[in-house]
Amino acid sequence: MANKLFFRSALISTILSYLLIFVGGLVRVSGSGLGCPDWPKCFGRWVPPTSIEQIPSHIDPTAFNIVLAWIEYGNRMLGIIVGFSIIIMTVIALIYFRNNSKILYSALWSLFLVGANGGLGAIVVSSVLNPFIVSLHMILALFLVSVLSYGTIESFKLIYSSKLSNILLSKKISTSLIALWGLIVIEILLGTGIRTNIELIAIDNPLYSKGELLNALNSYKYLHSVLGFSLLFLSIYLCYLFKNDFLGLSKQLVYFIFGMILFQIFLGELMIFFELPQLTRLFHTWGSSWLVGIIIILYNTLQYEQS
Amino acid sequence: MSSLNKKLVLAFLFIFMLGSFGFFVIDKATKSRIDNIGIIGQVPSFSLTNFDGSVITENQLDDKISIVSFIFTQCEGACPIMSENMSILQERFASSNDIQFLSITTDPDYDTLDILNEYSSSYSNNNNWFFLRGDILDIIELSEKGFFLSAALLPAGHSTRLVLVDKELNIRKYYEGTIESNIFELQSDIVTLLNQG
Repeated sequence: MANKLFFRSALISTILSYLLIFVGGLVRVSGSGLGCPDWPKCFGRWVPPTSIEQIPSHIDPTAFNIVLAWIEYGNRMLGIIVGFSIIIMTVIALIYFRNNSKILYSALWSLFLVGANGGLGAIVVSSVLNPFIVSLHMILALFLVSVLSYGTIESFKLIYSSKLSNILLSKKISTSLIALWGLIVIEILLGTGIRTNIELIAIDNPLYSKGELLNALNSYKYLHSVLGFSLLFLSIYLCYLFKNDFLGLSKQLVYFIFGMILFQIFLGELMIFFELPQLTRLFHTWGSSWLVGIIIILYNTLQYEQS
Repeated sequence: MSSLNKKLVLAFLFIFMLGSFGFFVIDKATKSRIDNIGIIGQVPSFSLTNFDGSVITENQLDDKISIVSFIFTQCEGACPIMSENMSILQERFASSNDIQFLSITTDPDYDTLDILNEYSSSYSNNNNWFFLRGDILDIIELSEKGFFLSAALLPAGHSTRLVLVDKELNIRKYYEGTIESNIFELQSDIVTLLNQG
């Protein structure tokens, strides 16, 4: 009963957090980050203004754009919903799982991360969208979904007693999976670095074309591509290691990882050779957050089987 | 297997819906930027003298995107920040011939052409920034009736706002010249106007 309760709340928190990363990415690519010049309120109101007359006199109405204000506020509202969802999850953990450190700590860490990232959101606004702080905001969100994915799969194992995979967590598989996760985190940091640098260069050179922006980047943009292809090979190797999983779940997850990396490379090349379509950027970022969570889930389906 | 296929189709549908939603939102945001710099008014005719002695009229604004400010050289509060911000914009848009800057003194008694010349050399790096003076009554009228900016108790009572004027002499938007986020906004609005042609 308590197991099911916690699993449900963890699953809902995880799904909502992934949606939040999507909406946050939408704020970034649509350039709505300054849609509300103040924080946590929007133009001094808990519900964003719908017309310019509603803006209080002490706030300069210059920046008022109703569309951008509502996009930014949508991100904040979903953030609050995620916050409440994680509070509920933590309360359940504190009541029923004080002796289960995996569950308890995943809940407490998620609560800390969601609170910290909400606070960082205020700094994002007050820093006038400093690209470093915006990227840090995204990286904290990746840590959040990692911890939530861990909590979800751990609680799933408590209610689902039969085997999830017949693959043993051998040293080879364990090392490959940890390496894949670590390299993907490095790959994400490199990608974030590229994004940050493009934005910094674009602030100083608002008239640069896409080609000029890419040329102005440091050479580690190649490192991002090279590492991306290496990840593809590593995931192919993992598909080979999991070929004998007749129970299916871990095999499906490995194929998903392979497909996702392939899709990410496709999106990446699309961005280099064509315009930088905002929607492509959005899905490229979002896809990377999926990889981080799925690998954690996969790893923990295997651990269960050994114990 | 069929249940897996069903799940895949559902997942694909969900991603497609999310993508459509993202596309809709991005499109809305892009259009809102253009709507947000609607025409506020028209710059009236004026005649002022540039620091190099040449006479500048409203014809100078023709076919250029202009950023206009009201300042005076002895001002120690807002003006240095406003001029510094305009200087940054001048540098960032240096590669475009379609942008120019106008700073009009609200203290023409003190700000002679020589003093404006000196002031210009500490902020401007190009010949697309005009530092203008004229009769104080003309300047008050230009500020209040032309640009809808308060001009009480001059010189210090001038507005600290920057004005964005398009190629057809339409006033498009105002920006607080001392606030970083407003300058950020101004910069992206200039790009929007340039992209519109």
